[in-house]
Amino acid sequence: MPLDTSAYSLALLRVDGRRWNELRRVHAQIRTQAAADGSSYLEMGHTKVMCVVNGPSEPGPRRGTAGGGGGGGGPGGVAEVAVSVVVAGFSSVDRKRRGRGDKRTLELQTTISNALAASLHTHLYPHSTISISLHVLSQDGSLLAALINAATLACVDAGIPMTDYVVACTAGSTSTYAANDETADPLLDLNHQEEQELPSLTVATLGETDRVAVLVCESRVQASRLEGMLAVGVSGCHQVREILDQVVRDKGRHMIKEGTVEKGMGVEEMEVD
Amino acid sequence: MPREAEPSLNERQFVLKALEENLRLDGRTFDKYRALALTFGDEYGVADVTLGRTRVLAKTSAEVTVPYADRPLDGIFTITTELSPMASPAFEINRPTETEILLSRLLEKTVRRSGAMDTESLCLVAGQKCWSVRVDVHVLSHDGNLTDAACFAVVAALRHFRKPDTSMEGGVLTVYTPAEREPVPLSWLHSPFCITWCFFGDEGQMALLDATWSEEQVRVGSCTISLNRHGEICQIAKLGGTPVEAVALLQCTNVALTKAKEFSTYLDKKLAEDAKRRDKDGLMAELSAENDR
Repeated sequence: MPLDTSAYSLALLRVDGRRWNELRRVHAQIRTQAAADGSSYLEMGHTKVMCVVNGPSEPGPRRGTAGGGGGGGGPGGVAEVAVSVVVAGFSSVDRKRRGRGDKRTLELQTTISNALAASLHTHLYPHSTISISLHVLSQDGSLLAALINAATLACVDAGIPMTDYVVACTAGSTSTYAANDETADPLLDLNHQEEQELPSLTVATLGETDRVAVLVCESRVQASRLEGMLAVGVSGCHQVREILDQVVRDKGRHMIKEGTVEKGMGVEEMEVD
Repeated sequence: MPREAEPSLNERQFVLKALEENLRLDGRTFDKYRALALTFGDEYGVADVTLGRTRVLAKTSAEVTVPYADRPLDGIFTITTELSPMASPAFEINRPTETEILLSRLLEKTVRRSGAMDTESLCLVAGQKCWSVRVDVHVLSHDGNLTDAACFAVVAALRHFRKPDTSMEGGVLTVYTPAEREPVPLSWLHSPFCITWCFFGDEGQMALLDATWSEEQVRVGSCTISLNRHGEICQIAKLGGTPVEAVALLQCTNVALTKAKEFSTYLDKKLAEDAKRRDKDGLMAELSAENDR
């Protein structure tokens, strides 16, 4: 394997020169597609994803899942959150073809849909569908986290009421499951190389709270190591929330300045420069 | 596409109100499992697990095949799940539902990706011949908590399984029948068990173990943790749902660890009992020259 994890203990620097608690560069844009109700583009390091949200709208005719009676939507008179994830063939190093029925992709879709459905006020839109389509342009670790963040931003852009941002990031640990227990450091925001080698988990929180919406760990790790990893992951999520919030505010400010939107009530005190 | 009947408002209210008063419909405490029973079949590698009214059957089989070109030194190990209409009218054959996909992904991650079985030991001739071990999971009756029952059945079936003994002599591979040589167990490294927590309440403040189907229908979220008795987490899956306090999740993990240890002891005990049953009179019978005549 190319990554020599033993080098970490010498200078406490990771393969890409970050410290243990540093995020990669997060760059995000909202309202990138004019035709969609909401859209976003997000980069976390070299992981790049695009998201388009349509709806809440009446479910299309092709969807046959709706029960009898009037219209579709999820159970109990709430809007259904339909997520589709498309992983581009050129997104990773080896050009692997992933079919539509790929279980990993389906699991990602379910996770994103369930996570957002808990934060969006879906009860306001009975019998309708919010369709979120995500496109992965480039993969370099923390894929699920990037997808969740992009979907949240696009939902904000679409103006769907939500409790708070659902923000995600990954956390890992510097040692493998058995070796050198004491000296293991938790790591924040892993890239692809680290994800391959080290135990990692993806955590998504509801805004700045400590409440965890998604927790996915796919590697073997000592149970005692979980606490540290989770703590680092949650604090990373809080940092991500700050960044995403800044993106939304900047865009809003920009739109007011351009005169695209009227300055609404309560915007008075916000300085527009 | 058939859809599961949703619980009525009254049923929903009844279950939730009872939970708020720390009561479950079957009188269990929040962190207690239903009665778990494991029986092995007459053949090796068949495990039948009942957990309350949930029943899962796992059957292991092995055959000699050609290994994958990109992994010439590894054997093949697959887990297939089948949710038939027998278990619930909402399941259809040949059209995997979301439940089925998540279940098979979970079993895959828990047992296969955590390296519970040493797949390299399944290799017979590098790049040419290897064992392909396959576990078929059949859900016979669905009354909640399929994951834990299915995972337990898979692990039990694999640990009970014996594959035919083989030998290589001068480039000739011989597979012996059970009459010629005693079959050999798989090379097993650790036994992971799934423990599923279901969350209830507006903020997911109530956590239940081993929810029944009626409880599962009204839950706001769930978290499946896979652990082995050495205290290693093999997988965690909280796939969305209502957000839960991080501290509560850590507590759940600790309780899950003790449950995993209990499962492990129970399985060891059952395997030992079964071994004793098969080995009727022990070594003395084997050495005896007497026969039935």
